[in-house]
Amino acid sequence: MTQPNRIGGGLIDRAKPLKFRFNNKSLTGFAGDTLASALLANGQRLVGRSFKYHRPRGIFTAGSEEPNALVHLRTGAHTEPNTRATMAELFDGLTASSQNHRGSLEFDMMAMTDFLSPFLSAGFYYKTFMWPKAFWEKVYEPAIRASAGLGRLSMEEDPDQYDKGFLHCDLLVIGSGPAGLSAALAAGRAGARVILADEDFIAGGRLNSETLELGGMAGHDWAAQALAELASMGNVRIMTRTTVYGAYDHGIYGALERCTDHLADSAGKPRQILWRIYSKRAVLAAGSTERPIAFGNNDRPGVMLAGAVRTYVNRFGVAPGKEVAVFTNNDDGWRTAADLSARGVHVRAVIDSRDRAAPISLPDVRHIRGASVVNTVGRKGLKSITLTDGQVLPVDCLAVSGGWNPNVHLTCHQRGKPEWRDDIKAFVPGGTMPAGMVVAGAANGAMTLASALAEGRAQAEAQISDLGFTPVKADPVEAEDEPQENAAFWYVPESRHRAWLDQQNDVTVKDVRLSHQEGFRAVEHLKRYTTLGMATDQGKTANIPALAIMSEITGRTIPETGTTIFRPPFTPVPMGALAGRARGKDFRPYRLTPSHKWAEEHGASFVTVGNWLRAEWYVQGDEKGWRDSVDREAKTAREKVGICDVTTLGKIDIKGKDAGAFLDKVYANTFSTLKVGKVRYGLMLREDGICYDDGTTARLSENHYVMTTTTANAVLVFRRLEFARQCLWPNLDVHLISTTDGWAQFAVAGPKSRDLLRKVVDKDVDLSNEAFPFMSCAEITVCGGTPARLFRISFSGELAYEIAVPARYGNSMMAVLNEAGAEFGAVPYGTEALSVMRIEKGHAVGNELNGQTTAHNIGLGKMVSQKKECIGNVLSQRPEMIRDDAVRLMGFRPVDRSQKLITGAHFINKGEEAVMANDQGWMTSVAWSPNLGHSIGLGFIKSGHERKGEIVRAVSPVHGTEMEVEIVSAHFIDPEGERLRG
Amino acid sequence: MAEFTLTSAPPLAGVDQTFDGLHLRAPKDLAIVAVALPLGGEDAALAAIRKGYGADLPAPGKSTTAQEDGATLLRLAPDQAFILFHRAEPDAETIVAGRIGDTAYLTDQTDTWCALELSGPRARTALERICPLDIHPDAFAVGDAARTVMEHLGTIILRTGQDSFLLLSASSSAGSFLHAVETSIKNVS
Repeated sequence: MTQPNRIGGGLIDRAKPLKFRFNNKSLTGFAGDTLASALLANGQRLVGRSFKYHRPRGIFTAGSEEPNALVHLRTGAHTEPNTRATMAELFDGLTASSQNHRGSLEFDMMAMTDFLSPFLSAGFYYKTFMWPKAFWEKVYEPAIRASAGLGRLSMEEDPDQYDKGFLHCDLLVIGSGPAGLSAALAAGRAGARVILADEDFIAGGRLNSETLELGGMAGHDWAAQALAELASMGNVRIMTRTTVYGAYDHGIYGALERCTDHLADSAGKPRQILWRIYSKRAVLAAGSTERPIAFGNNDRPGVMLAGAVRTYVNRFGVAPGKEVAVFTNNDDGWRTAADLSARGVHVRAVIDSRDRAAPISLPDVRHIRGASVVNTVGRKGLKSITLTDGQVLPVDCLAVSGGWNPNVHLTCHQRGKPEWRDDIKAFVPGGTMPAGMVVAGAANGAMTLASALAEGRAQAEAQISDLGFTPVKADPVEAEDEPQENAAFWYVPESRHRAWLDQQNDVTVKDVRLSHQEGFRAVEHLKRYTTLGMATDQGKTANIPALAIMSEITGRTIPETGTTIFRPPFTPVPMGALAGRARGKDFRPYRLTPSHKWAEEHGASFVTVGNWLRAEWYVQGDEKGWRDSVDREAKTAREKVGICDVTTLGKIDIKGKDAGAFLDKVYANTFSTLKVGKVRYGLMLREDGICYDDGTTARLSENHYVMTTTTANAVLVFRRLEFARQCLWPNLDVHLISTTDGWAQFAVAGPKSRDLLRKVVDKDVDLSNEAFPFMSCAEITVCGGTPARLFRISFSGELAYEIAVPARYGNSMMAVLNEAGAEFGAVPYGTEALSVMRIEKGHAVGNELNGQTTAHNIGLGKMVSQKKECIGNVLSQRPEMIRDDAVRLMGFRPVDRSQKLITGAHFINKGEEAVMANDQGWMTSVAWSPNLGHSIGLGFIKSGHERKGEIVRAVSPVHGTEMEVEIVSAHFIDPEGERLRG
Repeated sequence: MAEFTLTSAPPLAGVDQTFDGLHLRAPKDLAIVAVALPLGGEDAALAAIRKGYGADLPAPGKSTTAQEDGATLLRLAPDQAFILFHRAEPDAETIVAGRIGDTAYLTDQTDTWCALELSGPRARTALERICPLDIHPDAFAVGDAARTVMEHLGTIILRTGQDSFLLLSASSSAGSFLHAVETSIKNVS
């Protein structure tokens, strides 16, 4: 178990060897390695197959921009596809396998697609799989998906936990390279609250990858020292393994922290945390990404970015090859040669596309001036390169540098447009930055160490000064401005072989030409046509060379050509992290009624109503289906007495000298005239005159009303009333507070309800019809002094009450009511029986008040007072809304009583065709009435009030049914209301 | 003696758990009465509160400890305050009325809310996972209070000490609220 490519040095811990497996091969690395560096140390150059052509691919970069080295990490349900080996921190027991091949990685049976490549150019699918149309979904797409693509999901539920969180700071520093550290130090020393975030697992950025000195010490030592100082400050939070992936409004940033991805086991803790960071200011110090040069067969395992080669050599103590050549168009590439030489790795040549003297003197290294690489050899690993002059150099690693692109991504998340800077041949941040954001260091085009340090500090000091902090005086850190000149050289025109631009999507220079030829010349079109810049790496290494080539073909300049839009996330965010805790039963909060426990103990089945869980029915004895329970409950309530928890209805305490006047404005009917101790049904309209909500409002004292709303609209009505109070009529003395959860409220309905309640209320309460008639209310006491509210209101149409006690007594009250009611045959009933009874009584609910119906439609047109100013009454009188032939709420029963009505059926007159032109209305609610012994329905039908007794057809094309129904009163039971007044 | 008696069962009664650096408990018998200052009668109400509780009603977003009943006066809005105190009986509104008379509109809110007290040096770390507000001591001092939303649930957060917070949320969703806070604690401990 040797590591043939491991050399000396690096920031790895050789005292901590780690075992891992790649494609079932046992390998070792060290603590501080990434999977990529450990694979390279073990000489594993081939790590995957490409997306489209199944080309053998290796490790191309050393960071989050990696297009090729994507692996399945871990096994079973824990498998994560498309993990960048360059970002996966090595741990003991890590298991990874390569992606996108049939058969083994070495002998991928799908590799034949590579030989068919002349036929598979960009746009191939669009053009080829056009016909026959029906084949696309069933044949073509599955076949293409099976052969192309990235990793595969485990198809099991993600066993990991995820969390979310919120952080706040004065200054968010994104990136902990020289500019970021410098910025964080300046802000931290001045006392500002700082968050320093970096996607890497050690802070320092390129300082860990370079041999540049600063402050008289090695870069990584300086970084470690800076970090130690920051860690000692209570006002600085260092967040490594944290990617700031998006810049949102008002200084808010999204960040993904990978908490346990570097551990074998999460031990029950969240694997990742999705943070929302609220910053007053932000310094983006995201550094830059090296770009490749396109030439023939530049995608072979062993061809890498020059800066990445330096990272492997300097940070990880790994030589990516034994014979290395450098191909560069700029000074920076030379540093790779210098660092390799210094570590004793043989550099066969530096091929500089520029015909000029070496910027760094390397006496032992051959300098080939003004030349380029045109081709490479070595299918599963680089064996040699061929230069423009035809000479062949045997190498197993080629380090390529095409210059560096500032990581402007986050500056563009709110449509900032990068600007071209010709002196560095790159786009830098431009246009409007996200509010509060400044950019420093390489991300801003300050490409040298000294300039990055200075800019990081200056930007941070300017920002915190604005916030009122005083920067601390300190000498600048000594550092050099290393040579940085580069040339605009994007691809090698002499190359006759495929020259790859986007290795993740297998897009070549030829594809860009084809895109142009076919008219897809704008960069956004180029992207869609060729898939350039898509998928997990979003073209971090590919986009700029590709658009430079497009600009050359079109004859436009690079800034004229422009970039595609950068959108969040900067790097992929797992779905699990976006979901956070919101999974399964924790998807949303649940609300329980006060009698929930009692209901659970008494056979209740629960239904979700908004966030509430309500008892829908209570199974008793040997009842087999829901209808058995519901029929019994609805029948017993009408014949004896039933008890239902109605706490979920919204309750709003309305107090103030102007409470009555306020209610007159928000309700369509009048409440200021309501006497103390009385309840009134109220109808609320929207501004446009459509029904909004309804309920009863009771006047408990001169300045105190209690409003009830529907369950669904409780919060909306409260919000609307607050708006009305604060914004429309601020001169009224009226105060609102929700008491929905404060009172446990029970409907006690049925001929025996009065007898039942007499056993529960305290002795001084007179429940006689004379003392407490229909629509009365009172504040009373029950069970020996417990405060309660009693309302004589009826949703069922029976003699009925609603009684409320403080919620803490709710469960006990349910038990007491049932116990007290036992001698009368009382039953608890759920929402289904409640619904059956309200349909029997013709009461409208959400099915009827669906946001399109008016008071006129539901037969309550006269309730809309025109004698006062109230929300909606003016617009409710628009001619179209009060047409005489408008639909009216009516009852319906099947002519053949054995038939079952269907909700949603439309009414058609007898003898007319069932088409929309003949539509007469529709059925809104249906139920089986156990009290009538047949199906009943409510619905809207044109001029319904004049059509009682008429037979029409209820047609449901969806169900393929139709039946004859009779139009009847909506009040099936006790239309005169004798029971509820009894 | 009435034939039936009712037993009190607040949703979080008995919650009392200790974790590493954290203590989570549901305060027992915490009574809450909402006080609405009448339009035009604010001065009279404020004077009555000063007289009845020996403390001024603080500015919105602030709280203060009164001299009577061990009460906390918590101002939520220009015309709205909560008075929190210890009371087991369901007559909290009467107690407040006894102190300030009818100078303000009172509504008993005891049963509308459930309360959790989170204390200990790691309290803020745990709350970071659900509390969107900045509760750093520089931004949210002892006695400060705010309305916010935690895990979709409307919440009032009150800093009762350097390392302790009182959280109020709707009583019907107490189970979800407790779960949210417990999960946050477990995720950081």
